[in-house]
Amino acid sequence: MQLRDTVTIALKAVRGNRARSLLTMLGIIIGVGAVVLMTSVGESMQSVILGQISALGPKTVAIWPGKNGPEQGAASLNPDFDSITMSDIDALRRLNTIAHVAPVIFLTGKVSYGTEESDVTVSGTTPDSYINQPIIATEGRLHDEQDELDGRQVAVLGPDTARDLFGNSSPIGKRIDIGNQKYTVIGVLESKGSQFFQNMDERIIVPFETARVASQRSYVDMVGTMATGDPADAIDDIQFLLRRRHHIIPPATGLVTDNDDFLVRSAEQAQEILGTVSTSLTAFITMIATISLVVGGIGIMNIMLVAVTERTREIGLRKALGARRKDILLQFLIEAVVLTIIGGIIGLLLGLGLNAIIVGIASKFLERYIFAVNTIAMIAALLMAAGTGLVFGIYPARKAAELSPMEALRYE
Amino acid sequence: MKKKESAPLIETRNLFKSYFNEAVETPVLFDINLRINAGEFVAIMGPSGSGKSTLMHILGFLDVPTKGHFDFKGESTEEKTEDELARIRSSSVSFVFQSFNLLPRTSVIDNVTLPLLYHAGVRPADRLARVMKAIKAVGLTDRATYLSNQLSGGQQQRVAIARALVTEPGVIFADEPTGNLDSAAGKHVMEILQNLHEEGHTIILVTHEKTTAEHAARIIRIMDGHIVSDDTTFERRIASQVKELK
Repeated sequence: MQLRDTVTIALKAVRGNRARSLLTMLGIIIGVGAVVLMTSVGESMQSVILGQISALGPKTVAIWPGKNGPEQGAASLNPDFDSITMSDIDALRRLNTIAHVAPVIFLTGKVSYGTEESDVTVSGTTPDSYINQPIIATEGRLHDEQDELDGRQVAVLGPDTARDLFGNSSPIGKRIDIGNQKYTVIGVLESKGSQFFQNMDERIIVPFETARVASQRSYVDMVGTMATGDPADAIDDIQFLLRRRHHIIPPATGLVTDNDDFLVRSAEQAQEILGTVSTSLTAFITMIATISLVVGGIGIMNIMLVAVTERTREIGLRKALGARRKDILLQFLIEAVVLTIIGGIIGLLLGLGLNAIIVGIASKFLERYIFAVNTIAMIAALLMAAGTGLVFGIYPARKAAELSPMEALRYE
Repeated sequence: MKKKESAPLIETRNLFKSYFNEAVETPVLFDINLRINAGEFVAIMGPSGSGKSTLMHILGFLDVPTKGHFDFKGESTEEKTEDELARIRSSSVSFVFQSFNLLPRTSVIDNVTLPLLYHAGVRPADRLARVMKAIKAVGLTDRATYLSNQLSGGQQQRVAIARALVTEPGVIFADEPTGNLDSAAGKHVMEILQNLHEEGHTIILVTHEKTTAEHAARIIRIMDGHIVSDDTTFERRIASQVKELK
């Protein structure tokens, strides 16, 4: 018997009992659908976060003051919020493993223009930050070294902030209030969307020197910089320098010590952490999918056993007409595999369809959330579905093949 | 394997068959000695439970004897594997059953094609022509695309005969082929079998009805697992004339 004939018979059997076939396939459909959906959502999320990391640049290194860095909430709540001082910044600038050291001071205080008010983050930082996180002005200009040297009261607005305060009119040259000081708007930033769930279009940048004078502070809230070579070397140098300057005993083993009053992280490290998260997520999904496919497989085995009993006379007839054990075995095995493959394909399409809906909704809230699929996971899910049919189809198929033709023909 | 010159198509010597149910032996056939030549039309006749169907199942390779010898085309069939028996069934014998045994909700063409799926001799491209030839032989060309359940009992049995013909087997076994049919349909089926015999097919008919058995040229009577008589038409005619004279 040719394989094509066997597949045709299997397809006819599946078509002959449509409702039952569909119910039988349900476990497989849900299993494969869940895998496709979850991995696709994971892939989309990963592309969002990876996109943000690559927007930062893989060589970006950030330093936060405090025991555990920004994870602990606002830096000012941390007992070591003032650990990174202006003289630390000068020392950091002398390291040759990093360049473009851009300290940041966050200014507090109401931002307003006339009667319009905006609740927005105001960061005072140097023009180096425009190199660390490349950005251009779509209107006016970015602030430069001269603005820093003169400590000018100038501000660059994010596009959303500009729209909030000025509507559709141009903000260039207008004077806004930040706290009790007046600043002249010199530029509007290009749109960057959100990064790490923070809207980058809703912010104000002022010269670092201006912010330092306005806040009367001798410490910074954050330092952005860029490794000139390997980011790991840059982190080593920064840790060595800051520990020496802060009289912290370096850890005997490992890289981190609880004594540190600062935290250094590179974008590369963030990417690695993401990789670990993604691996555990994949393992979790695989586990759920396996359970679901096993449950689906038991359903397939059950219904195939019913089919063997129902079609005992047919099996007897086929044997009487010359079908060998192998032909019957293959017929029922292929029927089980066809069921699971069809179930797998339906699950795949269902997963992709649901993913498309989720993308449609999520892209409204998350910039760069695009339709992405994990092709390997999709192929693996389909193969696993087919494998389930093969494994759980063997027992009923063997039962069918072992029937004696005469007894099968007599079966009532 | 010994092969004899001009051997009969079917030969059994001292053939016994018993069924075993948890060590309880139920003997069904006793010392069956039979020779059937190619081209014969034989009826195996006997009442229900006489062992006639069991004999047909053994001769048709659906079952194996417990003891004794069974040669087919001069070749011993003992020690044949299950797959070898399947191969003989697909190439040399075919069956017409009392209850038709057609695949439900399946077209006439597909039902008649079924044996060809297990038959090595016909290429897929040549199947349809073979199938249509067999359907024509039973006069159902105009019903070829009908589903089996859309046909009358007589038509269904004709489809079963077409299915038996399609592999051009050496022997057609018909097990009570008219048992589920009315007399007109039964007569038509017997006419077809008779025509097939005239065309050279070997036909072995199993029946308990004398009128059906009368179509055959030779009647083997079985009673309680023993062959009690084996008459040709000629012998039967002489016997009936003797009876009349008396």
